[in-house]
Amino acid sequence: MQRAVVAILLLAVAAGLLGAWIVLRRLAFFAHAVGTATFPGLVVAGPWGLTPPLAALGAGLGFAALLARLTRRGATSSDAATGLLLTGALALGAVLASDVYRSGAGVDRLLFGTLLGLGDGDLWLAGAVALAAVAATAALARTWLATGFDPAGAPALGIHAQRGDWLLLALLAATVVAVLPAVGALLVSTLLVVPAATARLVTGSLGALLPTAVALAAAEGFAGLLLAYHLDLPPGPAIAIVGGAGFALAALASAPRQRRAAGVAA
Amino acid sequence: MTGGPPALQVNGLSASYGPGRPALRGVTFSAAAGQAVAVLGPNGGGKTTLFRALLGELPVAGSVRYGGAPAYVPQTERSRLDFPVSALDVALMGAYARTPWYRRIAASDRALARRALLRVGLGERAAERFGALSGGQRQRVLVARALVQDARLLLLDEPFAGVDRASEDAIMGILDELRAEGRVLLIATHDIEQARDWDRVLCLRGEQIAYGPPAPTLTTEVLEATYGDEIVVLGDGERAVAVQHHAH
Repeated sequence: MQRAVVAILLLAVAAGLLGAWIVLRRLAFFAHAVGTATFPGLVVAGPWGLTPPLAALGAGLGFAALLARLTRRGATSSDAATGLLLTGALALGAVLASDVYRSGAGVDRLLFGTLLGLGDGDLWLAGAVALAAVAATAALARTWLATGFDPAGAPALGIHAQRGDWLLLALLAATVVAVLPAVGALLVSTLLVVPAATARLVTGSLGALLPTAVALAAAEGFAGLLLAYHLDLPPGPAIAIVGGAGFALAALASAPRQRRAAGVAA
Repeated sequence: MTGGPPALQVNGLSASYGPGRPALRGVTFSAAAGQAVAVLGPNGGGKTTLFRALLGELPVAGSVRYGGAPAYVPQTERSRLDFPVSALDVALMGAYARTPWYRRIAASDRALARRALLRVGLGERAAERFGALSGGQRQRVLVARALVQDARLLLLDEPFAGVDRASEDAIMGILDELRAEGRVLLIATHDIEQARDWDRVLCLRGEQIAYGPPAPTLTTEVLEATYGDEIVVLGDGERAVAVQHHAH
């Protein structure tokens, strides 16, 4: 349990910071899909003698390459292609797990995470992505802000928009791989999207959004672990329940402010 | 403040988005310091392509000469209104290019951004969320951002589209000041009547149709060649209206 708490707190730093950018840049569905796309990679990791993070990263990168290929000519929209590939990855993983490698009960662990299986490697990876997220946010915050706010005008501000976008997506892929052991392939959004989306409801500036998203990811992750420990649940769903409740409360609390803002905009 | 040697010189410019036929070709014009050039043309005629070429975002043939990097003022509708940024945050983006990533934005640039907002009449609203401002006020904030960039060449993409009268007057006043400071302005517009007030007009329709002072340049023949059947000539031929067909 102690190891799981340390892992969740480290992951909260990366997931909170990157999650804020993911929500601002409307990449939440993409983040969820990358997580799900790692499932077939995780299934074949053991039988093929690969380390799970490497197999997951390979599957995630394969997903990104296929998505780029499908959307290159504009005939298929990005969200439709993402949904298509997400479904394909889940189906492929399910077939591999049930009929090819007969992964049995291990599938639950891959899909929803575990408290028990976190090793030293998982902690090191969590620490590395936390450090990378802090460094990248310090170095690239202006690039990500200007590109997200005004994609057409950003290059004229001296912003290397494409380079910044590639770094954001690479860091997102690494963070997805890091959160997999804790929350599983199906529920990476519980740490990467839900806390940041909640923070977005209750903050009005980027300076407040980033630390609030990290704090919420840590608090929801910790509370979810306690819930999972005491109710004997997988950690992914437990954190998702806490995160969902937090979002609902924040939505209720911020509703009057949102209504006022909508009135001003109209 | 017009005349003098060219501050912007474009010779035989062609620009394309990829292999094949260029999206814009044969553009040759020059503008002196302090001149404002209206860029006219139908949708898809090459106004945005010209701007992107001048910004260095597209591969070009021909030559372009001007001092320093240009500033670009996009249409406010292309910005994300839900972003958690204030008017001051947006104006400060004009200082990004000269601020290394490891440094905070300099106090002098913060003061410059506040002065720029004051200049466009929004000093009191610096802390307000960009998305909560009116369309005209947002457009003025984007002009303030260009002021912070302190560029000698400004590319303005339909700065008067959809703005209220107060904002139009404020933007017009600022553009006059910028001309007086010797900056070159390229203003993409659909408003032919307004284009007659600027120093030069550049008419585009996939290629350069005409360039010169408005009065002798904006003839019925030139306007018909620029807009085709999208132009309606009124009265005795002195006035013309471009009818834009927007695809929704």
